[in-house]
Amino acid sequence: MPTFSTILLPLSIAIPLGIGLFVVFTQKLPNRVARVLTQIAVGLPLLIALSLALNFTPDPETGYAFFSRTNTGLETLGITLALGLNGISLPLFVMAALVGASAGIFAVHRKTERHRLFLGLLLIMHSGLLGLFASVDVFFFYFFHELALIPTFIMIGIWGSSARRLAAMEMTIYLTLGALLSLLGLIALYWQSGAQTFDLIALREHLASQPLRESFQGVIFPLLLFGFGILVSLFPLHSWAPRGYAAAPTATAMLHAGVLKKFGLYGLLQISVPLIPAGAAQWAPTLAVLALCNILIIGFITMAQRDLKQMLGFSSVMHMGYIFLGIVSFNLIGHGGAVILMFAHGLSVALLFLLADCVRERTRTYDMQEMGGLAQHTPILAAFFIAAMFASIGLPGFANFWGEFTIFLGLWEYSPILVALAAIGIIISAIYGLRAVAAIFYGSETDALTKKIKNREEPITDLVPVERIAAGLLFVALLWIGIYPKPISDPANEALMLVAPPKVESIAHIEPLP
Amino acid sequence: MEPHLIMLGILLVPLLSAVIIALFFRRCGSIAAALSVGASGIILVLSFILFATIDLSSEYKVWQVEWLTFGEFSLYLGFLFDGNTAIMLFVTAFVGFLIHIFSLGYMKDDDAKGRYFAGLSIFMFSMLGIVLADSLVMIFFFWELVGFSSYMLIAHYYKQPDAAAASKKAFIVNRIGDLGFLVGMVWAYWYYGTVQLSELYQVAGSEAYPLVAGIALCLMGGFLGKSAHFPLHVWLPDAMAGPTPVSALIHAATMVAAGIYFLVRIYVLFPTEVLLVVAILGVAMTVYAGMAALAQRDIKKILAYSTLSQLGFMAAALGMGMPGIALFHMTTHAFFKALLFLGSGSVINACHHEKDIFKMGGLLKKMPITGITFGIGVLAISGVTFLSGYWSKDAILLQAYTFYQPLFWLLLYSAAVTALYMGRLYWIAFLKTPRSEAASHAKENSFVMTIPLIVLAILSVVGGLYMFWPDVLVASILPEAELVFHGDDYHYSHYALYILGTLAWVIGLGASLWFYKPGSSEDPLEKKAPPVYSFIKSRLYLDEIYNWYVTKVQQRFADMLAFLDLIIISGILVRGSAALVGVIGLVGKHLHNNNLHVYIFWFLGGAILFFALAYFQFNLF
Repeated sequence: MPTFSTILLPLSIAIPLGIGLFVVFTQKLPNRVARVLTQIAVGLPLLIALSLALNFTPDPETGYAFFSRTNTGLETLGITLALGLNGISLPLFVMAALVGASAGIFAVHRKTERHRLFLGLLLIMHSGLLGLFASVDVFFFYFFHELALIPTFIMIGIWGSSARRLAAMEMTIYLTLGALLSLLGLIALYWQSGAQTFDLIALREHLASQPLRESFQGVIFPLLLFGFGILVSLFPLHSWAPRGYAAAPTATAMLHAGVLKKFGLYGLLQISVPLIPAGAAQWAPTLAVLALCNILIIGFITMAQRDLKQMLGFSSVMHMGYIFLGIVSFNLIGHGGAVILMFAHGLSVALLFLLADCVRERTRTYDMQEMGGLAQHTPILAAFFIAAMFASIGLPGFANFWGEFTIFLGLWEYSPILVALAAIGIIISAIYGLRAVAAIFYGSETDALTKKIKNREEPITDLVPVERIAAGLLFVALLWIGIYPKPISDPANEALMLVAPPKVESIAHIEPLP
Repeated sequence: MEPHLIMLGILLVPLLSAVIIALFFRRCGSIAAALSVGASGIILVLSFILFATIDLSSEYKVWQVEWLTFGEFSLYLGFLFDGNTAIMLFVTAFVGFLIHIFSLGYMKDDDAKGRYFAGLSIFMFSMLGIVLADSLVMIFFFWELVGFSSYMLIAHYYKQPDAAAASKKAFIVNRIGDLGFLVGMVWAYWYYGTVQLSELYQVAGSEAYPLVAGIALCLMGGFLGKSAHFPLHVWLPDAMAGPTPVSALIHAATMVAAGIYFLVRIYVLFPTEVLLVVAILGVAMTVYAGMAALAQRDIKKILAYSTLSQLGFMAAALGMGMPGIALFHMTTHAFFKALLFLGSGSVINACHHEKDIFKMGGLLKKMPITGITFGIGVLAISGVTFLSGYWSKDAILLQAYTFYQPLFWLLLYSAAVTALYMGRLYWIAFLKTPRSEAASHAKENSFVMTIPLIVLAILSVVGGLYMFWPDVLVASILPEAELVFHGDDYHYSHYALYILGTLAWVIGLGASLWFYKPGSSEDPLEKKAPPVYSFIKSRLYLDEIYNWYVTKVQQRFADMLAFLDLIIISGILVRGSAALVGVIGLVGKHLHNNNLHVYIFWFLGGAILFFALAYFQFNLF
């Protein structure tokens, strides 16, 4: 018997999908109506997500709440549309709803050509994002990812910046490859488990009693690791990300960098590591080294960037390294940290992309060397940008700090050296973050900027109320969890205790890094 | 009222003030100022209530709540109140309050008063968090916030490139120290099994040596950054780019004091060998900074280097096993350093932001209150007998004499140099006649600026008489001071040291009066011995080395990696794989024909195909 709250979850996915499709396919819909519909379609899921978070009482056995199952006609294959949230997916679901709402509001505000189409695609993408975190069925988890990914390509291809052709192509190649690899891994897992189901809960129970052969785990895991890894821009498979984000329209970049990129990490944390723990343990040293490269090498590359949006793209690649390290740590502290940091990074990077667009709107450039002294014209934009930058570099008081700290704490058990090396990242990110702030907002106006201002009729304005709402939404969430992390950490803790793999023999056998 | 509620109030009042200002009064400077000053007044009153009501009979008091739990790790946030907390809370609240008052006058005509006072409140909030915290994690939390608030305040005049650069430098250098803190904290958790200070106090002391030393050295990194010790001292002189009351706040009551306080707080975790490192670093810093101060012309920079030198004294005291004496010197230093910085603010305000002491002169006559109080500050920092600086410095010298004699002689030398450069500052800036337009028009400032000076001057005179202080404030100072001054073995040496200490300031002040003649408009040392002058002005080229590293090594390395990334990873590996690109190129071409419906149909078609295939395949099996 479906209760009200179990209907809410499917509804939150169906609303943006339905409205999105309606907006895309209704030929003569006025843009005005499309904008109002978009606001409704991103606002309702946010309200639903928040109310679900408030009423979150997971089932003690499965760990899931708001569980519902719909038949799809593929039951014989073990595929059902099973939706639900556990303590790992709940924070990410709420994060997706928040970023979606912010991006939606912002996209409505920032008019483009063929605006209606853009909004429709954005809504379809949003629905895919909500769906993938709400899926308990591995097949639909993947399906929703594709549903979100395809509009991304289209939006970059049509509305992207001048470099969009190459960026869109590179992104398509990479992400399709990553998706294929991970699909291969998931299908292999499906066949080899012998459970005849894609249902995550059933798979977990089945594999807990009859784990896969370790040698086989060692074969499946790299498929998932590198498949997911490509999607998360694991070093050295990262080069699509900065260019893709630099070319993408802002709302798309917000949703992709903030939310869709977490698909791979979420998959590793929710599916791969709990289901194939021995394989994960075998591959942990590799992942650890690559993640460290993400932090240190990409960190330095970020320092060399002049283009604000590219810089943000690289910095987001860099921060993925921390989350990978949280997964590598193989203990509850590190995995919990990964959940918090996924949540926090999603919000902060989306906020930064949004604000970068606001900066560009006022300076007409993304080149940081042409900016300067903007704070005197736009103090509120400066305040938001500084706050967002400090959030992203892990200042206490913002959610990112708890994530990074607990990841370091958990990682110590796996390898102290790794902690010491990875923690250098906090200096690197401070350097590029503060440099960007100083280059954009401090000092006096550069000549280039003065000229640009003179060429325009209207003076530079500070953030308008709509932009403030879109940014404030993300900012408040970052601050809230940054001060009081319990709303996220407690559910995540409970869920992780439930899915934590039994300490496999082989984990103890694997030679940890020094 | 329960003590922990009072402490919660002390912590939250400034935060509330900052939030209210940020949300509603950004443009109403005077309301913002009133709120912020009011908040600091409430902090002071609450602190006094706390001192009056708290019972320190048990060694320390803890209140805590659970904040974050992952598996076996639980983080508790809470307060730990002991004698160290009391004196530090007093210094922060009291000196902070006076600086707030002074700011009312100094920042009167500033455009961004709202931002400034909100920043002050955030600064107080962060600092009080460090003072009260019971857990390494909570200290780290507020520790970084102190870094952030100093960043915002140093960048107050963000339009000036040096302020923008200094704020960046301060935060980044502090972050380098925080790296050590972070690693040490994580290490401490896995080693001791807790990050609560109150629990660490119980378990520390009986462990394997190398590990404990490692943890202590890492945690010391935090101290090196915040307290501006070698090699992370470079941010402090640059930080003078901020408004002068902020410099006073950073130097006297909050930021650099936080480093010393942190060491006192975690003193039990330090084995003697690491303490020795602290002591040596401290002594080296006093010598180095004293020398560097001699070649500065900017009044604030001289004071900045004098802070470094005095911090060295505190670190030396702590390293020699006397954390209470370190706190004692920090307290007296807070009085006279706040006095000196606020006095310099008063001077700078009156001289239309002239900071070069050789362009001042005659200020004693023009601004008598500032001149006299500043003079008292100079005497106090020089350690003139029976003034506040004398008691604490003498205690450190006494301890050094029994601890290790070379350290004693170096410290004594530093004490003389302190008197030398402080005398130089005073004789040149305040005596004789004005040497610039700005200085000749100098007028005494209004009472909101002079009253804090007078209060601080009184404390600079009598503040060292620890025996007359309320018990709760000197709970951690008294035992050690008694030991140093009245320990059995000290009678003979004490007199000799007393004479030596007195000689130090007499020689320092006298020599500066003789050498730097009042009224000179050029530095005599620069004229008479250019090589010596340029050597001490170079400050051992440390800043140049850092700049060289940042621009020539770090940035080039970053550029090189970015280039390699572009060429190798995305150039050769990605674009070069022509076959792949050729295949996908077809997809790419379709992507660009802009016909949206095609994509949708492709996607739907693919999905249907998958379903169909899967279905049939299953049936075939």
